[in-house]
Amino acid sequence: MKLELRGITKRFGDLVANNNINLVVEPGQIHCLLGENGAGKSTLMNVLYGLLTPDSGEILINDEPITISDPKDAVAHGIGMVHQHFMLIPVFTAAENVILGSEPVRPWPLLDHRAAKKTVGELSERYGFDVDADAVIEDLPIGAQQRVEILKALSHEAEILVLDEPTAVLTPQETDALIEVLQELKAQGKSIIFISHKLREVLALADVITVIRLGEVVGSTTPAQATTTSLASMMVGRDVNLVVDKAPAKPGEVVLKVDDLFVEDDRGLTTVKGVSLEVRAGEVLAIAGVQGNGQTELIEALTGMRRATSGRVAVGGVDTTKRSVRGILDAGVGHVPEDRQEHGLIPSFSIADNLVLDQIDDPKFAGRFGRKLKAIRENGEHLRTQFDVRSPSVDTPVGSLSGGNQQKVVMARELSRDLKVLICAQPTRGLDVGSIEFMHRQIIENRDRGVAVVVVSSELDEVIALGDRVAVMYDGVIQGIVDPSTSREEFGMMMAGARSEEEMA
Amino acid sequence: MSMVAPEIITASNLRITSKARALGYGITLVLFGLFEVLAFGRTSTALHTTIQFAYDSAMVVPELSSLVGVVVLIVGLGLVALGVGPRFAPERFGGWARWSKLQLFIGGVGVLLMLWPISLWMGVNQDGQLRDWTVDVAYFCITLGVVSIAAGAVLIWRRFDRAAPILLYCGIVVFILAFLVWAARYAVAPAPPLTLTGVLWGMMLFSTFLILGAVSGTIGERSGVVNIAIEGQFIAGAMVGFMVADVMHNTGVGQIVALVTAAISGAVFATILSVMANRYRANQIIVGVLLVSFATAIAQFIQGQVLTTDAVYQNTPVLPVWALPVVSRIPVIGPVLFDQNCFVYLTIALVVLWHFLLFKTRWGLRVRSVGEKPVASETVGVSVFGARYQAVILAGLVAGLGGAAFTVAAGNQFTWELTSGYGYVALAIMILGRWRPYGAMAAALMFGFTDSLSGALGVFSQQIVIPDAFISALPYMVTIVVVSGLVGKIRPPAADGVPFVRR
Repeated sequence: MKLELRGITKRFGDLVANNNINLVVEPGQIHCLLGENGAGKSTLMNVLYGLLTPDSGEILINDEPITISDPKDAVAHGIGMVHQHFMLIPVFTAAENVILGSEPVRPWPLLDHRAAKKTVGELSERYGFDVDADAVIEDLPIGAQQRVEILKALSHEAEILVLDEPTAVLTPQETDALIEVLQELKAQGKSIIFISHKLREVLALADVITVIRLGEVVGSTTPAQATTTSLASMMVGRDVNLVVDKAPAKPGEVVLKVDDLFVEDDRGLTTVKGVSLEVRAGEVLAIAGVQGNGQTELIEALTGMRRATSGRVAVGGVDTTKRSVRGILDAGVGHVPEDRQEHGLIPSFSIADNLVLDQIDDPKFAGRFGRKLKAIRENGEHLRTQFDVRSPSVDTPVGSLSGGNQQKVVMARELSRDLKVLICAQPTRGLDVGSIEFMHRQIIENRDRGVAVVVVSSELDEVIALGDRVAVMYDGVIQGIVDPSTSREEFGMMMAGARSEEEMA
Repeated sequence: MSMVAPEIITASNLRITSKARALGYGITLVLFGLFEVLAFGRTSTALHTTIQFAYDSAMVVPELSSLVGVVVLIVGLGLVALGVGPRFAPERFGGWARWSKLQLFIGGVGVLLMLWPISLWMGVNQDGQLRDWTVDVAYFCITLGVVSIAAGAVLIWRRFDRAAPILLYCGIVVFILAFLVWAARYAVAPAPPLTLTGVLWGMMLFSTFLILGAVSGTIGERSGVVNIAIEGQFIAGAMVGFMVADVMHNTGVGQIVALVTAAISGAVFATILSVMANRYRANQIIVGVLLVSFATAIAQFIQGQVLTTDAVYQNTPVLPVWALPVVSRIPVIGPVLFDQNCFVYLTIALVVLWHFLLFKTRWGLRVRSVGEKPVASETVGVSVFGARYQAVILAGLVAGLGGAAFTVAAGNQFTWELTSGYGYVALAIMILGRWRPYGAMAAALMFGFTDSLSGALGVFSQQIVIPDAFISALPYMVTIVVVSGLVGKIRPPAADGVPFVRR
């Protein structure tokens, strides 16, 4: 089926999210939409799926103009969507999720579970999926959940499959499996729109690549003509340095020492199972791994947000295991949390106030009875210039800033104290390329200043770029600590549970 | 935006928790047993308790001649074999092995058939009614205690994870039985008997409005709308049902009309709630509380202005008791389940119907999906608002009918205080029943049992150390413990109480 988008424009108030976008997807083609976060890819796809109504423009299928006013229309026209955040009911089985909305009933009004399972079984077989129809979604690994999501789209006889950032949550192996699945679908004549900001995958997979920047199509190309560098500069609109410039680390003495740490999550399951680490001054230890393998709980335990069940954490020789968050900050730990909206900032507070959140009782900012507003303001102005936070003033509420600028505020605040250890969890998640470069430069600068840095990231590229040593975490255990020059395949194996060879030797 | 961490439940995790649970249950059973032996068993051996099985004096087990008895026994044995057989030799029974529920039913019928002649030969009938059973308190309690300790010890030793909950429930029932026998102990004859069947009979009728209220809450919350106004729907249903029944002179048709209008009055309140919750995305708790105040105010007004002044409203309607043939003669079970106010039958039928609707039909699947993740439902073309309106309004019918249980079914004059907060208790029962109709029924029966019991134990109040109000309060304490999450994992529908906003 041929799909054409003609002159799609969508505005949100003053913001033009999509400006006169034209796109043609041929049958049996994998068409990659490449662009930074906020470039307007998701808006475009939501227009296509009927979740948003465009201000102008038209959608054509097989050269016939059609109207799509809600998802039902889209499904009826053979458009299937695999959302970034899966549209699956976590407590339902795979079969129930697949049939929801078009349930077989026989006799009325009884659900025909047998027919549902048969549908799922047949589809799985035809496209070579491995999906258990009776499995409850929340018990499945993310990769399998995604296959259910794809299956759901296929069961509605989708001819055009839209995948929104499908690899963001997958291990390298799962990504490879997904690419195979997509190639198979393509071979069977389905058209695929693949949305991503990951250059490597796009080059591996695409027939045609269309790059979107600031709501406009910048250009189209093919993997044969493009390189990662050329795509990156199209995406950002200037030359980008994809490699992090850094001198070899000069590790000093051990600053952060973690000994046999066990941590439980909110549900009482042990998710960190005996982690031991040493981080030296002047080096970056990167922690790689698929999300949900205990990294979050490990970081929370290190920063005092969660009490460890056993084990020991020491910063500069001082035991901080049982200290409060305050006590740990005072020991010289800086923390850029995973979820900046939830734990890093108070969105309704101004930039200046957010920049002193951790030092509000410091005599510098606290008077006898009230805050020293002038000092707080000056501090804000100073850090705003130094960290290039783009905002009208320091009184702007942090919540109205872009992700990149919010993260700069968090980073600026943490770095404004004297740090021995800097812990960054997912420091560049959801940021644009410019902000990513900035964050990486800050991290390396601090390393060179003699701070011990821990970086947790689920982006393998980032881990390799930043880390002087890389620890891979799987199921709450450090699978091994290896050199960043280790091959991607090796990393993939470790992230999926294999022990590193060095470790076994 | 943050991403949701995947929940990884591994088989080993589950295994560990269920093993630990079996250990905990085992220890509990041993403690129960010790209590039964040491506290109840210390009673002087001269004390006896008479347990009365007959609910009304005419109730006897139908007599059989010995010959027919043998035939019945053999037929029963055959049915038991048919019920149990496929479990042990599935290959011989072919497709039969799949029908496990049917098997259970056939086996159950078989057991009852076998019990019939056996109990007759043991002489359950005496002087035209069921024989009372007099037991020695000390020996009885010690025996139960020893059995309980033994079961607990086996559980601690072997950690059967599947059998653990069943054993615990049996242990609780045994404990209650021991307590009752101990509480009703008497040294001199004629002693007031322990009316076991009577207590259970009262439990059923007393539970009806709790069951209906909790089922109503379950339907609403499964669709993602919190209905805290069940109390208000009770008041409305009770009042409207009462008035309609009296106006129509308590005829059979009149009572049916009364039940229907009571249900509709509940639905009217539900409609207000659902419009507020869906159309205006109001805070559902606050709307609910206001609806209760509203219903209370109306009831006070009507009671003062109409009910007390008009002679029409001085009669109290009461629904008839229907004894089902044959089955109502089964000892204990018969009168409790099959010789009941017809409202009890209606309630049980509704519970079964709602379980079926929620978990077996297309409509139910959609309603539950909307209560879990409405965005996902919408992307596959399910109407979120449609499902929520339907669920909440249908739930209102159930709650309104629950209100009728106070007046039309039980035979009470309407007063505005009649519901006395049971609408809120129903919400606790809904949680205790884990948002399932059958669960709600089980939890409601527990409340009904303790309430019925505290009434029956009034006769013995002098020799029970603890006041009977404490027994009435027990289920509330259980609820607090359960709702706080100490026992097992209770998870409400994920989108419960969250208004849906279309993008």
